Amino acid sequence: MRHLKAINRKARTIDQLNTPATPDVHDQPDVVALQGNSGPRVPDGPHVPLGCSFVFAPGWEVDSSGSTAGLCQPVERDLYDCYVTCFWPIHVPDLLNHAPDWTNKCAAAQQDWRKIDLIFP
Amino acid sequence: MLAGVMSAGLMSSPARAQRPDTTGFEITDPLVLRKCGGCHKTDSTNRVARLSYLRKTPEGWEASVRRMASLNSVKIDPAEARSIVKYFANRQGLAPAEVAPGRFETERRLVEYRYAADGQTERTCRACHSLGRVILQRRTKSEWELLIATHRGYYPGSDFQAFRRMAPPAPDSAPQPHPMDQAIGHLSRAFPLRTPEWTAWSATMRPAPLEGAWSLAGHEPGRGAFFGRMVISKVPGTDDEFTSRATYRYASGGALVTRDGRSVVYTGHQWRGRSTPAGMPPDSSMREVVSVEPGWQEMSGRWFRGGYDEFGMDVKLTRVSPGAAIAGVSPVGLRAGSRDVEVTVFGANLPRAATAASVDFGPGITVTRVVRSSPDEMVVRVNVDSSARTGQRDLFAGGASLRNAVVAYSRIDRIKVTPQSNMARAGGVRVPKMFAQFEAWGYVNGADGKPDTDDDLNVGTVPVRWGLEEYGVTFKDDDTQYVGALDQRGFFTPNVDGPNPARKGSRNNIGDVWVVATYTPEGANARALKGRSLLIVTVPLYMRWEPSRTAP
Repeated sequence: MRHLKAINRKARTIDQLNTPATPDVHDQPDVVALQGNSGPRVPDGPHVPLGCSFVFAPGWEVDSSGSTAGLCQPVERDLYDCYVTCFWPIHVPDLLNHAPDWTNKCAAAQQDWRKIDLIFP
Repeated sequence: MLAGVMSAGLMSSPARAQRPDTTGFEITDPLVLRKCGGCHKTDSTNRVARLSYLRKTPEGWEASVRRMASLNSVKIDPAEARSIVKYFANRQGLAPAEVAPGRFETERRLVEYRYAADGQTERTCRACHSLGRVILQRRTKSEWELLIATHRGYYPGSDFQAFRRMAPPAPDSAPQPHPMDQAIGHLSRAFPLRTPEWTAWSATMRPAPLEGAWSLAGHEPGRGAFFGRMVISKVPGTDDEFTSRATYRYASGGALVTRDGRSVVYTGHQWRGRSTPAGMPPDSSMREVVSVEPGWQEMSGRWFRGGYDEFGMDVKLTRVSPGAAIAGVSPVGLRAGSRDVEVTVFGANLPRAATAASVDFGPGITVTRVVRSSPDEMVVRVNVDSSARTGQRDLFAGGASLRNAVVAYSRIDRIKVTPQSNMARAGGVRVPKMFAQFEAWGYVNGADGKPDTDDDLNVGTVPVRWGLEEYGVTFKDDDTQYVGALDQRGFFTPNVDGPNPARKGSRNNIGDVWVVATYTPEGANARALKGRSLLIVTVPLYMRWEPSRTAP
């Protein structure tokens, strides 16, 4: 796209983001800057505390942008999918090994969520 | 499903039988061989399949023993399990230098950890759990391969999540290894079974000689600094188990606490204990995860409790020597021009009859009198010159000194809320709540006048007004109404778990909010300072992996 020229502020910002970063270690706060002129600058990821799994969209504690806004809501609606498919093995018990009868007491988690057991493997 | 794991195990066993792999550790303990030998075969060199080829923390070994009991039907009583964990933690544990980068994991700290050594491996493992679990293990290459096979066997979903390529490689790019191969390659290079650190440590390792009196200093978010003493005694008939009595006082408010504890020190340096305050119910007991520094003169770590281990305190212990020692001072910040400020110096073996002249806070700070003095605590009153230069001051008192004990300042430039981001979980009906505690600290920008630089000075916690503000993510975001309440101590209590019919779509009481602290400095025309922290109030966990949670 070298033949296109940025003419307003937003376009110039986009242009700057796609321009290879100057390898000036004093201006750049992270190691990305030390990687030289190859490719566009990688923006920092969301600020997420430890314990969150945020690689997937949606994630368990936060979504891929570091927020709770994109999660399946309410979580009870999605719980059995996570359970049957071992989708979130660190957050929800799995059907295969740890809790084969986790859902016996509650046919529909959205109504029976008070009967959900907390599992200590 | 388990066929993959089993066949991997079977395939490797005959290979070992033909040519014994002596990279592993010999295992000769009769109890281990009796309990584990049914499945884990011993070869002609006393190496036991799988078990000889890995090293872990006590928590790691405990998790393994629990898994064998819960999923593989091993019959084992608690005393036998404790004995096996201790055997492995001591024979195939980690050296202090190996534990250091992953201490946040065993100390259950809510930190943001980035694993810089290999981004692909970080993504693969952190898709489901913290990297702390990974970096606190050492294995041979074939053991790292079997670990991945175990994950795929127990959790087939991992094949579609963490262990797959997220996209085909670009046509003109170099060949890219599969994420699983990348992780195996990296982990077997970065965390091999045999390391110089372990060779050196296991040669000098012995039961830690910790008996005696220790000076205790710490910080509990929300309650501030505390100082005191811990007396450690050996449990008769053992050389690595201890009872302890800690007595300490909070610098702000002066509440005195006594805790009685019992602990085991694994691998000569990993203190794992539990202590309960005198006269309190057992649910106020705290798990103690403390590292003993080589040389046995210092220990540091975290004591914690709570549904998600969120109530915790940082502790530091220093062996009491015959001479005087200063552990800390409260308050730390001394404003220029203030008169008759009460300052407490905490330590050990401080002089009983100290004079004002024997306590030196440096230029601009004058001790006017000693209010009282005991070996553990000295209370003095000071005047701070209005022209006192901003900066840290070393303290010299009673023959002991403390670097950077206090900070003289004329004006607080900004405040900072810690932790800078935090997490709470809805609960209280079916699962525990995860609470969150915030603190506001005053900072002076330092000589360069710029915030967030190395010369900034922390003058201690400051009294602030606390509030929640919306962290706008969606149109008409209304999280502050539902997530919970923040009190004026900076303590956040989340709302209940379960769908909330009052919210659109019966959403849970979860959301993202700013925790905002407002500080009004002294003086008539002073401008209010604000600081904030991002709080994520999120969904509960329905599976709790931390084996120590249910341990005695």
